[in-house]
Amino acid sequence: MSMEQAGVLIIIPAAAFVLVALFHKVLPRQGDWIVVLALAAVVAIGMLVVVDFQRVWEHGEFVPHGANRFAFDWVNIHQGVFQIEFSTYVDSITAVMIVVVSIVALMVAVYSVGYMHGEARYGWYFAALSLFVTAMLTLVLAGNLLMVYFAWEGVGVASFLLIGFYWERQSAAEAAKKAFITTRIGDVGLLIGIVLLWRASGTFDIQEIIKIAQAGGFDHTYLTVSMLFLFLGAVGKSAQFPLHVWLPDAMEGPTPVSALIHAATMVVAGVYLVARMMPVFNEVPIAREVVLYTGLVTAVMAATMGLVATDIKRVLAFSTVSQLGFMFVALGLGAVGIAMFHLFTHAFFKALLFLGSGSVIHATHQQEVGYLGGLRKKMPITTVTFIIGSLALAGVMPLAGFWSKDEILHATMEHAPLTVFLLLAGSAMLTAIYSTRLVLLTFFGEPKDQHAYDHAHESPWLMSVPLLILATLATVSGFVVFHGVGTALGFPGGIGEVIFEHEPEVFHFNAMFAAGAVGSSLVGIAIGYIYWGGTAERATRALSWAPELHQLLLRRYYIDEMYQAIIDRVILGLASVVSTFEKRVVNESGIDGGAQLINWFGYRLKFLQTGKIPNYALAMAIGVITLAVLAFRSE
Amino acid sequence: MSASEGYLMVSLFAIPLGTALLLMLVPSRERGAIMAVTGLSSLVLFILSVYLFARYDYTSQEQFQGVVAWDWLQNVGFLGDHGIQLKVGMDGISAAMVLLTGIITLAGTWVSWKIQHRTKDFFILLYVLIAGVYGTFVMLDLFFFFLLYETALLPMYLLIAVWGSTRKEYGAMKLMMMLVAASILIFTAVFAIFTEANLGTFDMTKLFGAHYDPRMQKIFFPMIALGCGTLGGMWPFHSWSPDGHAAAPTAVSMLHAGVLMKLGAFGIIRLGFQILPEGAAFWAPGLITVGITAALYGAISALRQTDMKLMSGFSSVSHMGYVFMGLGTLNVVGMTGSVLQMFAHGVMTALFFLLIGGMYDQSHNRDLPNFSGMAKQMPIWTIFFVLGGLASLGLPGLSGFVAELHIFVGAFRVYPVVGGLAVLTAAITATYLVRMFAQAFFGEFNPRWNALRDITWTERAGAGVLALSMLALGLWPSPWVDRIANTLARSIPGVSL
Repeated sequence: MSMEQAGVLIIIPAAAFVLVALFHKVLPRQGDWIVVLALAAVVAIGMLVVVDFQRVWEHGEFVPHGANRFAFDWVNIHQGVFQIEFSTYVDSITAVMIVVVSIVALMVAVYSVGYMHGEARYGWYFAALSLFVTAMLTLVLAGNLLMVYFAWEGVGVASFLLIGFYWERQSAAEAAKKAFITTRIGDVGLLIGIVLLWRASGTFDIQEIIKIAQAGGFDHTYLTVSMLFLFLGAVGKSAQFPLHVWLPDAMEGPTPVSALIHAATMVVAGVYLVARMMPVFNEVPIAREVVLYTGLVTAVMAATMGLVATDIKRVLAFSTVSQLGFMFVALGLGAVGIAMFHLFTHAFFKALLFLGSGSVIHATHQQEVGYLGGLRKKMPITTVTFIIGSLALAGVMPLAGFWSKDEILHATMEHAPLTVFLLLAGSAMLTAIYSTRLVLLTFFGEPKDQHAYDHAHESPWLMSVPLLILATLATVSGFVVFHGVGTALGFPGGIGEVIFEHEPEVFHFNAMFAAGAVGSSLVGIAIGYIYWGGTAERATRALSWAPELHQLLLRRYYIDEMYQAIIDRVILGLASVVSTFEKRVVNESGIDGGAQLINWFGYRLKFLQTGKIPNYALAMAIGVITLAVLAFRSE
Repeated sequence: MSASEGYLMVSLFAIPLGTALLLMLVPSRERGAIMAVTGLSSLVLFILSVYLFARYDYTSQEQFQGVVAWDWLQNVGFLGDHGIQLKVGMDGISAAMVLLTGIITLAGTWVSWKIQHRTKDFFILLYVLIAGVYGTFVMLDLFFFFLLYETALLPMYLLIAVWGSTRKEYGAMKLMMMLVAASILIFTAVFAIFTEANLGTFDMTKLFGAHYDPRMQKIFFPMIALGCGTLGGMWPFHSWSPDGHAAAPTAVSMLHAGVLMKLGAFGIIRLGFQILPEGAAFWAPGLITVGITAALYGAISALRQTDMKLMSGFSSVSHMGYVFMGLGTLNVVGMTGSVLQMFAHGVMTALFFLLIGGMYDQSHNRDLPNFSGMAKQMPIWTIFFVLGGLASLGLPGLSGFVAELHIFVGAFRVYPVVGGLAVLTAAITATYLVRMFAQAFFGEFNPRWNALRDITWTERAGAGVLALSMLALGLWPSPWVDRIANTLARSIPGVSL
């Protein structure tokens, strides 16, 4: 399967979606096996595509916009006046995304067979899952900004449907609504950015736009504005400050969905988009600065909120937001390869953590850490894999997260102001602290809710096998950047070289720096252990220590409240003003008023027609006299 | 396309008129016969519409295809040769509109079978209306154009006043008064065009090429824009639309919002842009201003509505605002978007009214806060509603996006700020629709509605046809785009590519 045929990757899950969505009521097992098989096929074909790309790359035959592309016209007005092509495009960024999306999707689908067993709307769940994968693969294969937007909205709506999967719960309905509307605000920016780029270049094709931008074909200010609008889309989708508010609430969806959509794939779409457009961002340094500082603020802020969250999935959600911030910091420095590397490793260990938390929730029906604890005895596989994921997240060598986070910190130290580096390093330490807290409160200590504890059991194989596979990936996926590992895996050119193609310097390893990074992670773990490692009462100590701060973090810096107030007061207020205008001015004064005016005139005028001859004679006389006077005067 | 297709176009309005006449002969207690006649007629019309749309050859240089004509009056009084003819023919725009009418006639007829009160009279009026709509779209004689335009309007009054609900007398009266007042403007403009062209004929193919004084164009274009625009729900003369829609019975809302409002926009293109292009160019900024105001105004008003039909009515005002905005861009992309939007909005809004009607007939309630968790009781209904809502908020893959994208792009070419505001409007649209989803369909089920059933099979079939049309345009837009864009570029002087 060569690169030009990568479109097959879109068609397979799309077919599965149509089949399962329409016929899940009659299919055996509601069609879950169709989706699993389709996703397995996607993994296999995806690998073939990546291998083909590697081969071309290795032979130095890779031409941007060459044979790696397949296109057909979707709309074409007057031979190119307004042309929208649907085209697939494969390069190293696509290759990384294909691997991530296909593997995590398959793991999640297998896991879901166990996790969602016996749920109402089981078949619909799998249909929505394949809809999501269809849109996500379209997104990563898109060669064209409009196709990106197409898929961008597609993953958005799949996310909406899956967050709202338990729609009987009011909170799930609200969360789905919030996610959709918040990301939609970002999408406004994305579409404006895309159309602005089209307006100046006449094309939606990404590689063409890059070529034109590099040749200086855009006005500099115009391009800056366009790219900032485009970035707004990324901010919404990747839950960056100030549009991060939807992601923690999105945890209302089924947990496997959180792992796939809200940790590994859809939320990294923003990172993917900025990485894809990086040659253009490079032309406008201000836009890149904005990317950098947005990422930094988000990384720090979300990590602090992760410290106090009590819902196991929300801690992970804040962690995801924070880690996405790390990726944007790397992008802000122009380091596409590093960002994509972190995206790659993060996808595996974060999916692992979410599926692990799903395993806990499945066993205990409890997701507040205040009611968990001591589960290590009952759920050994979940505990071990979860700890592996947490260590990877915390950045402990040699797990996957270490390699990529180390690269980001290293790049920050070399290319960014010192404050940026310190803040980011601090937030990396916070990462270690909150992941330790989560592990301790969930799996160690005494059970806080005996009922939940008694109920707990290790999850079935369908769920633990994906955990084990992802744990393996979370351990080893960092190594692949080394040339030796890449070649041993059958990629003659190595993997790291391909991922890092955009960078002036390829992946490098600085032992001193790494030691420092691991040291700081260990310190973070130690702090977490000292604080939360003991009795249950200690866990709530932050409350008494600094209640205002605790409250501030727990209420997420009051940002959600602020938005709610803006919606209630400003937007709905404006809507009231307009509605009142409609009622009073347009209807009552304008239309009804006009009708009443005519009515009133009719009422007045009707008295002229009295039916009395003297009245008419008087009117006639006045007329005759007036005419006579006029006639005489004109002579 | 040849003359034989021209005869089919004549049958597009002859069949509904014949149906109306035939229904007069059927005894009103024979419901089965009424259903058979209307069902057959709607099916034939649908097939004809699809066939004619497919047969329109956009690669041909001929703008009007399948032209056939019969003289009616000539060489009397002020009329010269071929003064008034029955002359029909299609261009790419009317091809799209004929298809739209076919789809909505089909769905609208099916869902109206459940009407119990004076069923026969209802269908007679409905089919006269349909004949008027089809006739206007294919007519190439200005006199008959106006005659059929009015034919489409007048049955509205009775349809709403007799079969409607919620303040039906007020709604019907308001609608009729505003539309008839607007028609006076069109009537004036029609005779101004006839006089100024001084050809002694109402033949539109001749009138398109005639010379009109630019000053005359600037005076009479706004008359057409206001006259037809009122029917198209143009802000600030839209207020008949939410009230009228709220009062009208289901099929009438469907036909009205789905097709009749498009007749208004179609009139602006036919009479305004194609006959008076210089006037149109002069007033284009005005159209854009009115369009974007309407889009924002309608969307913001809809945020506050709790009555589902009123919300849908304001949503229509907002979406029709896009149409006027696209027309005002004066470039092929934006104007193509307008015609696409006429189609897309027609199908989508018909679906909304079908579903809201299906709900109201059972619950006699349309107030959103009264509903919650309806997805449990009416899953199929909910799926169709969400699909329609997603089309309305411009989700790629459904019809609304294709249309809106063209309009946005066209607007960005002339006024980027307007384009930006238009995109923002789409986000507001998403807000009120998703709020409605979360309120009415999701959440805990309100047991008060235990007795409601899901939509009936005829409603499902109708909704299915509409949903498939939305998907077709959304996934494969080029059949529409090719027909419309080629016609626009060829028939309107001064439109930029």
